[in-house]
Amino acid sequence: MNRRPPCAANASPLLEGRGIGKSFGGLAALAGVDVAVYPGDVVGLIGPNGSGKTTLFNCLTRLDGLDAGRIHFKGVDITDHQPFQVARMGMSRTFQNIRVYRKLTVIENMLLSRQWRGARWPGLLRPSRPEVTERADDLLEFVTLVEQRVDLAGSLSWGQQRLLEIGMALMSDPDLILLDEATSGVNPLLVDAIRDRIMTLNTTHGKTIVLIEHNIELVADLCSRVVVLDHGEKLADGEVGAVLDDPAVSEAYFGRRGLNG
Amino acid sequence: MTEFGQALVNAIMLGGFYALMVIGFSLIWGVMGVINLAHGEFVVVGAYLTWFMNRHVGWEPFVALVVVIPVMFALGYLVQRVLINRIIDRPPLVSLLVTYGLAILIANSLKLAFTGTPRSVTTALSGFWRVADVTIPVVKTIDLMLALAMMAALSLLLTRSRLGKAIRAAAQNRRAARMVGIEIGSVFAVTFGIGIALTGAAGTLFSLTQPIAPFVGLPLTLRAFAITTMSGLGNISGALFGSMALAAVEVFVGTYVPGVGTNLGLVATFVVLVVILITRPQGLFGGLPPAEE
Amino acid sequence: MLEIAQRQPIRWLRRSGLLVLLVVLALLPLLAARGDGDGMVNNSTLFSLTQMLMLVTLASNWNFVSGLTGYIDFGHVAFFGLGAYATGILMSKAGWPFLPTLAVGALSAGAAAVLIGRATMHLKGPYFSIAMLGTFAALREIARVARPLTGGGPGLTLPPYLNRPLFYYLALGQAVLVVALYRWVRRTEFGLMMLGIREDEPGAEMRGVNTIFVKTSAFGLAALSSGIVGGMWAYQNTFIDPDIVFLDSRTIDMAIASVLGGLGTIIGPVIGAGLLYWLRDVVWASFLQWHLIVQGLLLIGIMLVLPNGIIGLLGDRSGLDPRRIWARRRKR
Ligand SMILES: Nc1ncnc2c1ncn2[C@@H]1O[C@H](COP(=O)(O)OP(=O)(O)OP(=O)(O)O)[C@@H](O)[C@H]1O
Ligand SMILES: [Mg+2]
Repeated sequence: MNRRPPCAANASPLLEGRGIGKSFGGLAALAGVDVAVYPGDVVGLIGPNGSGKTTLFNCLTRLDGLDAGRIHFKGVDITDHQPFQVARMGMSRTFQNIRVYRKLTVIENMLLSRQWRGARWPGLLRPSRPEVTERADDLLEFVTLVEQRVDLAGSLSWGQQRLLEIGMALMSDPDLILLDEATSGVNPLLVDAIRDRIMTLNTTHGKTIVLIEHNIELVADLCSRVVVLDHGEKLADGEVGAVLDDPAVSEAYFGRRGLNG
Repeated sequence: MTEFGQALVNAIMLGGFYALMVIGFSLIWGVMGVINLAHGEFVVVGAYLTWFMNRHVGWEPFVALVVVIPVMFALGYLVQRVLINRIIDRPPLVSLLVTYGLAILIANSLKLAFTGTPRSVTTALSGFWRVADVTIPVVKTIDLMLALAMMAALSLLLTRSRLGKAIRAAAQNRRAARMVGIEIGSVFAVTFGIGIALTGAAGTLFSLTQPIAPFVGLPLTLRAFAITTMSGLGNISGALFGSMALAAVEVFVGTYVPGVGTNLGLVATFVVLVVILITRPQGLFGGLPPAEE
Repeated sequence: MLEIAQRQPIRWLRRSGLLVLLVVLALLPLLAARGDGDGMVNNSTLFSLTQMLMLVTLASNWNFVSGLTGYIDFGHVAFFGLGAYATGILMSKAGWPFLPTLAVGALSAGAAAVLIGRATMHLKGPYFSIAMLGTFAALREIARVARPLTGGGPGLTLPPYLNRPLFYYLALGQAVLVVALYRWVRRTEFGLMMLGIREDEPGAEMRGVNTIFVKTSAFGLAALSSGIVGGMWAYQNTFIDPDIVFLDSRTIDMAIASVLGGLGTIIGPVIGAGLLYWLRDVVWASFLQWHLIVQGLLLIGIMLVLPNGIIGLLGDRSGLDPRRIWARRRKR
């Protein structure tokens, strides 16, 4: 496998969250989680259902307010930023329960996700410029949706919508991509296509990626590092092989059974 | 001191009326997710019905409740059957527009039927008690008692009866309730009927304290919305508390801020409403569901 | 490509039809002048057409916010009212000429919308709608109470000026401009952002759209235009008071025209407003006191029977389907 080597630990992290806490009512969805993502990494974020993975994404992208902790992205403290500001800084994401604009066409979905950094009032008052449209078309090719260009996004299959979301996340040419269960509910053929795209993004385009995945095989395949969450707490964080062999992890994930049994 | 005591008594009386007025709105919103913008108009219909029984049949307004409650129940049942049930699964915008249309329809029909002249009921119970210089009108006291009694009855109905169970099941999960065999259309119609019956009863109380005119409904709808937002959907004790709070704001602002007439009570309501919405979008007691999905 | 070639004549027809309509509308007042007021086009027809054109503008403004961003505004008449009162106060109390008051009215309505929008547009769905309903009701009470400025309940009388063609041309010009502007905005990135907000606001926000900026700008623009209509209406009516200015049925008119024509389309409110006026003048002019009742029924009826309006009936042939717009620009 031609995976990029994980970055040296002394490089400064691209994204760093310290002591992130978030509760819903009485329930602590995250209880003081530390994460650091280094440039060029592919980090797997795993954990049982309800362990707080999506909540962590929501906190990192500033959709959810934090109860505790600070978040730094590219060295800037983004704890008090609006979600759109974070997105413009180069962090984009996909969603576990797909969020495409269902009543807009595929191409409109793409154009609506472009890099808005530096976009100003008067500039917005014209149709998308040719280079933006071109980029959208190139990316549609990348995610194999050229045929569906003018279909309504809501009419695509589940797997195609996942691909569209990946394409949309790429429109802004982000440095960091957060993928929330990008392969769940997708047929096996498309899973391979998605795996392939993720790999290319990292190796060829140098994107840093964090992915939430329940498919351990895929995680082992793609990721250089794995972070395990359980009940809102970080259970393990480290090199793939070591973490997946950790008995505490398989205990949390699978109850009594071992990972391979 | 007297002024304060009087204001306090007035606020409690007004709060009792608001509580009964709001509870139907809160129930309908909580169970069906429908924000009934015609709510205030249903209060006014109840008030006109009371006035009609009082003026043309000669009944004491409180006695008119025996007509108002069943008639308003039937009206609510019908509205839900022919109108709201058809749009219940469509986006919230649709029910907003439909009930707004209903509000215009009712208010203008009332104007056609009863003209724009304000009407007042006559009652034999117009006396009052005096306690340490504070005036306590008999009518308003009965108003308050009736309101509390009806809210207690609704609370019992919801928690103790099979119907209440079905209503709560339908409120929590429409699809699941359908699957366990609850005939959701009629449960909703009965719920709407109960909500409107209580609202009509509030109209009877309204008629005893203020003149009735066709277009006084909108401020009542706004108040119902403000109180429900404060207290959480379908939350009966919360509604009582929120009503008292809003009434206190209105009465004390009216008493102590110079140059503020009763008309500005609505402005005070609105200020309270917007402040709550902006600072606590989830409602004061966390009872509001997310507005999307 | 073949399909596109076939569509050319239809588009050509539509364009020339529009041109003819505009020319006819522009020439109408000349007929009126010739006919000494009792010909085919008399002054009252002109008055009625002016009202209709104002509704076209108002409905387009309402639809611009409510149809494109999905924020259903039940208090839009508040901005009409601000414009009306700006003109009313400045003309009757300060002796200003008419046109500058329009500018003041437009700016104060626009600024008020941006301020109010900053607060209320954080609210979602029905919460926004009701907050705007409350804003409108509160403004009406304030207009009633602030008697030294607004004349209170008895109202204000403006200097009379009965030049029907002038108002007609002003209303026509504004309607054409506003519809053209919205049509343009709909096709820009800004318009796309508005639709994105309607479809999935948190999603748009997380994809880099400054949603509060887009919403309040759109809101301010629509309010500005409604403020101008309010000023023209006040001068034309020569009298204003809180009840006829802050009239809730005026918001209903805007909503009905939009949903009747097709909510969220550009041409829908135009068709809807025209149809509504035709219905009002021709069909139920004879039983006037029923008119608001019919209005309420109409709103309910449309929502039940025609959820996508008349444009929705045309379906694919409307040319407004996004798939069509993009098919024409298809690459390769
Ligand atoms: N908006 C919310 N309101 C209340 N509770 C929430 C909310 N969002 C998440 N939770 C709770 O927080 C906990 C963590 O949820 P989260 O969605 O982050 O889990 P997850 O790890 O992504 O799970 P899954 O693998 O099922 O996607 C869960 O117990 C969930 O019920
Ligand atoms: Mg999740």
